[in-house]
Amino acid sequence: MTNIKFDRIRPYLAYGLILFAFTGLPGCNSDSENDKIRIRWEGKVAEGVYVPRTLTHDLPDDSVGSLLKIKLVDSDPSFSILGDYSEDTKAILFSPIVPFTRGLHYEVVLRNERIGTFTVPLADAADAPQLLGMFPSQDTLPENLLKIYLRFSQPMREGKSDEHVFLVRGDSDTLRGAFLNLQPELWNEDRTVLTLWLDPGRIKRDLQPNRLLGAPLQKNAHYHILVSNAWKDRLGTPLPKSYAKSFVTTVRDSLSPLPKNWKMVPPPGGTTQPFRVNFKESLDYSLITECLSVEDESGRVIKGKWQAGEEEKAGYFRPSENWKAGKYVLRIRTVLEDLAGNNVNRPFDRDITDQNPDPRSTAFVEVSFLIAHPTPPKQ
Amino acid sequence: MKKTYYLLAVAFAGFFLLANTQRSVEGKYGMTVGSPEIKSINSLAFGPEGILFIGDSKSATVFAVDTKDAKQAEKPAEVEIKNIDQKIAALLGTEVDNITIEDIAVNPASKSVYLAVQHSDGTPILFKIDGDKITPVSTKNVAFSSLALNDVPDEAAKDRRGNSLRVAAISDIGFADGKLMVSGLSGKEFNSTFRSIPFPFTDKQDQASLEIYHAAHGKYETLSPIRTFTTAQISGKKYLVASYTCTPLVLFPMDELKAGKHVKGRTVAEMGSGNQPIDIVTLTKGGESYLMMANSSRPVFKVDYKNIEGYQGSLTTPVEESYATAGVDFVSLPVTNVIQLDKFDDSRMVLLQRRSNGSLDLWTSSERYL
Repeated sequence: MTNIKFDRIRPYLAYGLILFAFTGLPGCNSDSENDKIRIRWEGKVAEGVYVPRTLTHDLPDDSVGSLLKIKLVDSDPSFSILGDYSEDTKAILFSPIVPFTRGLHYEVVLRNERIGTFTVPLADAADAPQLLGMFPSQDTLPENLLKIYLRFSQPMREGKSDEHVFLVRGDSDTLRGAFLNLQPELWNEDRTVLTLWLDPGRIKRDLQPNRLLGAPLQKNAHYHILVSNAWKDRLGTPLPKSYAKSFVTTVRDSLSPLPKNWKMVPPPGGTTQPFRVNFKESLDYSLITECLSVEDESGRVIKGKWQAGEEEKAGYFRPSENWKAGKYVLRIRTVLEDLAGNNVNRPFDRDITDQNPDPRSTAFVEVSFLIAHPTPPKQ
Repeated sequence: MKKTYYLLAVAFAGFFLLANTQRSVEGKYGMTVGSPEIKSINSLAFGPEGILFIGDSKSATVFAVDTKDAKQAEKPAEVEIKNIDQKIAALLGTEVDNITIEDIAVNPASKSVYLAVQHSDGTPILFKIDGDKITPVSTKNVAFSSLALNDVPDEAAKDRRGNSLRVAAISDIGFADGKLMVSGLSGKEFNSTFRSIPFPFTDKQDQASLEIYHAAHGKYETLSPIRTFTTAQISGKKYLVASYTCTPLVLFPMDELKAGKHVKGRTVAEMGSGNQPIDIVTLTKGGESYLMMANSSRPVFKVDYKNIEGYQGSLTTPVEESYATAGVDFVSLPVTNVIQLDKFDDSRMVLLQRRSNGSLDLWTSSERYL
């Protein structure tokens, strides 16, 4: 969008300066270099193309947009690429609305005549994205598992998960429609973490999809989640390989997490060692880091960082500053869920005809713990 | 002396500039001129006087942009573009695979079709279509206002207020009776959200937050997200007509949609599972109203509102037969694979359809479907 262009003005200037430095170097045959059509790179992205004035001859500045066109090679001449032009004495810079695509061929057309072509090379294989993890990381999961998170090393293409992520039962039985088809997909802001939902309508007992199609997963069965190597990142580079995660299913989990049963492992005071909390079951990978906070006795939030522990059965909190001895509170947002969508307030499948339904609807629950005085160094 | 005149001229110019700035600050609907930072365009809907609402899931914000396209079209040209995805890809210098058409909306005044496209690198692009012409719409230096749905408070404030109604994905937006309605799904916790936001947007953010559920077939409630919705007059009363990811059609009285209320809807139709509703609109012809609904795995459905009025029950017994349907009667139109749909005028629709030959076409329906 045009507002993105706005943000890019500064890097343009920086690039221009670098370009100037290069072209200004003595004895580097800059004339012949300047006669060529060149791609303007912004990092790994082909942001624009320089068309040298030597190719456009007497093209007046006020007619650049109407007479000079950039288009895909052999495409319909009435569909030239949309973008902005900027001119200097040596070249005309064309910046398309979206970057040029890796691996495609383009042509520069002046007064309906082709004056040159350029190709945007495919991305370097070393820049390929990686799938860093699939969560939950356990290999035994409840049959009413609700969510799966995929974490990538780089921003990926959106809207493609149904083509690239498969749930397979046993060795070969690909289960269609297991994941909820959501448009837009649920990506985090930098498009490196995707949330996939196993269709909740099929997990909830008695709902029509559940009755007709059954739950997506069955108890005591083997499954794989496959991620295809055809999935490309935002620059068009595919994953270098396919990824698979195997798991077996166990019984349904219909119980809410119970913070009062969690085990707190406070570190010694005077250190920045992490405070550890054992949940005694796996909780939602993404919510662990979002739903927990630590406060001191006067209600001040302790600054620091949360991290999910092994198999998401624990959370670690490392404070930015040394722990002081005293009483602390672990504050838990009740939207925190386990692997089956049961949150601290209510189970996922709540019987609404129950006369005494969920008694809790608080936003938070709290559990306190103590940090001891630092142990004096041994003499 | 010359210098004095010069200074006076500068002062006057400055005065006029300031006066102009002032005017833009107090512009129509409280909008200001600038370049909104739109990170994604997932949903489009038109409001009054050419105001285009943009649902941006990435920044969890709704934008109102003045398109200045508010002139009533006398004889609007019917939209007809074949292979629209290929044409848009060519205009962006890329391949069809790299673009997604996220939504379409017809400007009710000019009848131009606005189309939101997302490039694979995440860049959103807005196009306007008149007849067979495709032009990009700039959002630079436009009159706009915005409202964050997901104001991420600082750590302490977040803990105190428990901002639990975060919206991670906007599934649909619509405008009726001076209010912008937004349905969404939180990305992490299992929760669907629905907000009714007064327009012009205010600083107070006094939008209604609703937790809507429908007890479909049985005793377990669902917080399933609303996929698409419209509003309609049924027996003289205004209703929100919503369709969920598992395709039931549910009615909510508009006057009950108030802040903090837990509103229970009435399920009036099951339209078969294994299917996703895509878009719904209300059309009228000869005093009769019809609900038109595009689906992921079914043809376009037509439901006569008279049947909904007549159907006073609420579906409480399960539909036994696989993929069966129940409740209000509906008609399947001979139009399949419709990906987007919006109202063109009272009796016609604009459809984005994948034809059997593979071509993705944008076209205007005739009245004969009603």
